[in-house]
Amino acid sequence: MKQKTDVLQGTLALMVLKTLDVLGPQHGYGIARRIEQISGDMLAVNQGTLYPVLLRLEQEGAIASEWGASENNRRARFYRLTREGRKQLQVETQDWEQTAAIISRFFQVKTEDLS
Amino acid sequence: MTSLRRFLTRLLNSATWRAQDERLREEIEEHIALQTEENLRAGLSPLEARRQAMLKFGGVEAMKQDYRAERGLPSIEDLGQDLRYAIRILRKSPAFTAVAVVTLALGIGANTAIFSIVNAVLLQAFPYPDPNQLVLIFNVPLNQPDALSALSNREFTQCREQNRVFSEMAGNSFHDLTLTGAGEPSIVNTADVTPEIFSLLSAKPLAGRTLLPEDGKQGAAPVVVVSENLWHSHFGSDLALIGQSITLDMRPFTVVGILPASFHYPDGAPRQDVWISVAQDPLFGPRLFQPGSRVLSGIGRLKPGVSVAEAQAEMNTLGMRLAKEFPAEDSGLTIRIEPYRQFVVGDVKSPLLILLGAVGLVLLIACANIANLLLSRATSRGREIAVRIALGAGRARIVRQLLTESALLGLLGGVAGVLLAAWGVWSLRPFLPPGVILINSIHIGGSVLAFALLLSLAAALAFGLAPALLATPSNLQANIKEGGDRTGQRGGQNVRSFLAIAEISLAMVLLVAGGLLIRSFALVTVVNPGFDPRNVTEAEVSLPQFQYATPQQWTAFSNELLERLHAQPGLRDSALGGPLPMDRQGEATFAFSIVGNPPLPPGRSPTADYATVSPDYFRIMGIPLLRGRFFSDQDSPSNPKAAIISETLARRYFPNLDPLGRRMMFGFPPDDSVSREIVGIVGDVRDAALSRKPGPMMYVPFAQAPLYGAEVVVRSSLSASSVATGIREAVRSIDKNLPVTDIEPLNDALGKSISQERFRTFLLGSFSAIALVLAAVGIFGVMSYSASQRTREIGIRMALGAGRGEVLRLILGQGMKLALFGLGIGVVAALLLTRLMSSLLYSVSATDPVTIASVTIILLSVALTACYIPARRAMRVDPMVALRHE
Repeated sequence: MKQKTDVLQGTLALMVLKTLDVLGPQHGYGIARRIEQISGDMLAVNQGTLYPVLLRLEQEGAIASEWGASENNRRARFYRLTREGRKQLQVETQDWEQTAAIISRFFQVKTEDLS
Repeated sequence: MTSLRRFLTRLLNSATWRAQDERLREEIEEHIALQTEENLRAGLSPLEARRQAMLKFGGVEAMKQDYRAERGLPSIEDLGQDLRYAIRILRKSPAFTAVAVVTLALGIGANTAIFSIVNAVLLQAFPYPDPNQLVLIFNVPLNQPDALSALSNREFTQCREQNRVFSEMAGNSFHDLTLTGAGEPSIVNTADVTPEIFSLLSAKPLAGRTLLPEDGKQGAAPVVVVSENLWHSHFGSDLALIGQSITLDMRPFTVVGILPASFHYPDGAPRQDVWISVAQDPLFGPRLFQPGSRVLSGIGRLKPGVSVAEAQAEMNTLGMRLAKEFPAEDSGLTIRIEPYRQFVVGDVKSPLLILLGAVGLVLLIACANIANLLLSRATSRGREIAVRIALGAGRARIVRQLLTESALLGLLGGVAGVLLAAWGVWSLRPFLPPGVILINSIHIGGSVLAFALLLSLAAALAFGLAPALLATPSNLQANIKEGGDRTGQRGGQNVRSFLAIAEISLAMVLLVAGGLLIRSFALVTVVNPGFDPRNVTEAEVSLPQFQYATPQQWTAFSNELLERLHAQPGLRDSALGGPLPMDRQGEATFAFSIVGNPPLPPGRSPTADYATVSPDYFRIMGIPLLRGRFFSDQDSPSNPKAAIISETLARRYFPNLDPLGRRMMFGFPPDDSVSREIVGIVGDVRDAALSRKPGPMMYVPFAQAPLYGAEVVVRSSLSASSVATGIREAVRSIDKNLPVTDIEPLNDALGKSISQERFRTFLLGSFSAIALVLAAVGIFGVMSYSASQRTREIGIRMALGAGRGEVLRLILGQGMKLALFGLGIGVVAALLLTRLMSSLLYSVSATDPVTIASVTIILLSVALTACYIPARRAMRVDPMVALRHE
């Protein structure tokens, strides 16, 4: 149970970073909407789980937050990518692509290839 | 880096959790509001739009939990929460808290107090660098390795020059000298040393210098180093004292330095006032270079890397060589070394460790009592715990909460215990036996506090763990069904029985130990010392050697003193003796040989305690004459030398012979080969201590063997203070510069000789009493709880026709089973453990059946009473009430 959340959190964190990289400063709801739009129904996540991830990223210094006004002129917390976060995104993107490439190669392997 | 940063942020967050919570609440609200608007735009009704938004967001509380876990330091925050809760719980039940804290305070207080003594005596570092390198060097007979005696100057020098094990070596001796010319004449504790002792012990003077090697040579100018205390009390702390001369035994010594009050040697001995070279001492100086005269105690510092065993091997070789080269003095002897620490604390180590063990047992009993209380409480809190588990609290979380409560109790008990210990140590100080224990070094310092803290937490774990585990059963359903009333009951009952048995057996061990000491102390106090101390006052007069240099002068002085005493009404019954029984400087023991018996090799000759007494001594002390005659005025220096021996000496060394008329050779050196005729046999006397069996003893007439000082004994019906005044006046009328010291009733001196015994008997007796009370309370608690649990069963039994007697038997039987079981274990444990204390016992065996039997009876009756009260209550149960009870 816990392990599953951890994996999910890691992925979610990368998604958050990428979203902020592409869209610029966003509030929590905006990030959630964006992730939902892109992943569609494939990632049925409770939106609430986003907030602990945001907090962790902020504590790591990858993102920063401040109060601002939302579309409907209410107080909302806006998150933006820091320089450190941008670096982290680069590294993690590379890592992810590498991992993904390896995994996909593994899936392509057939029995005869190994003999 | 990142993890450190996260930790710091989290730490900061923990402090600002309220603001953080507010921020999250706002963010969630905003998120849901935005989603609701979106849903409204999609055409949902306002109510449905909000519902969908909330569904999409997911479980708010679970998320908050995650968020908090991410944000702060959950364990610290939980601890804070647990502590607040624990404080609330403890405040809600003040009676329970008070009982538990008082019980713990007794246990922890007793432990802390005893540990503060152990810490001061056994663990505290000595005030010398590398004390573990320090060893003492003694001369011992080959066949009696424990008969330690001082070294002769030759042995000392050979030892110092011919061995490869010591980096430094020094000698010392002690003597009382008379200081005059600085206020009232007074006796100063004098250390006679070889000058190396100061560098060996790294003594740094407060001002001036210590002794130099040339000060130790024969014929050097007499110089003295003064202690800071004497400098304050007699010389007004004036630095001009250095270079001036002070008068010791009527002889001028130039002050060369002042040593700080912190320096003393050996550690724990009475403080020294002045240090002089042993060659300058009026008594030891002239004898230092006489062959065979042994005045120096040796102290050495082992070279780094040399073990005690290696050093001892070297000494054995040296001893053999000396015996070969100087057979007249050294045959049959060898040299023995003993680590300094062992020598200083040797006497008190085992009693202290036994006391520490005893208070450990008291604490265990206290813990058992509190565990018992906690168990009963956990049962009544079963429902609360069950509900918390049902709401999702983990078992570990609840155990932690309960343990936090225990730890809080433990700490409260610890604080109260430390206060109790501080009070106890403070109020016991006047009763601490003088001697090895340095009373002023006993204090509640850092290490003692750390000990108390650790002990409190360990105790908390000991009494808290089992109840906490039992209170949180793995089977939740059964628990809720039962309404929580019987949480952990079966396990609890077993644990309770175990606790009761443990308490009884622990109390048994303690009571047997305490009982043995009390019995042995009672035997010591009623022992016949061999003399009658009632109405006898003693006083010591010592004559300065330079002024009273010859035996003729000593005799003249003592005759004069006795004459003046006899002239005073009420002091007619006075005599001289030296040393007196229970003399603070110990008994004098000399070797003797019997004329006409085959000669024994040196070092093998028998020894006996020696005293020189005036003719009336035996009559005044009430020592009975068994055969022959007492000394009389006829035994003057010009007449044949006479001696009186004790019953034990006569029996042991003249078996089936008549000692009267036989001759023995002995005497105060240098008169050790004077032949004396045995003229009388007197009763045995306990001269060393009341608790020591009388050994062989020999007496000589004072006129034939005078001393440079004498102790006066006066039997008088006058008050002790008027006797003291009379003695002072008599001495002063002869010589106004003579100090009179140690005036006290002989009974007090007798009491002092058993002060250590009295003190440890008092302590162990008190601990046993505490243990008895705690154990009684514990058994009572277990029995009344189990009786109350069986109310329903008793009701059914009575409804079915059981009589009250049967109910009484039922409950009593259950209690007695536990008690007997505990007593059985206790007897076995006591038999095993009291063996360790046999060295502290006087004429009582460690397995004394009387003590064990009476302790068993006491405990059995206590247990019986503790069971009887709940049993009577159970007997009065109204069956109807009992049956409706559930």
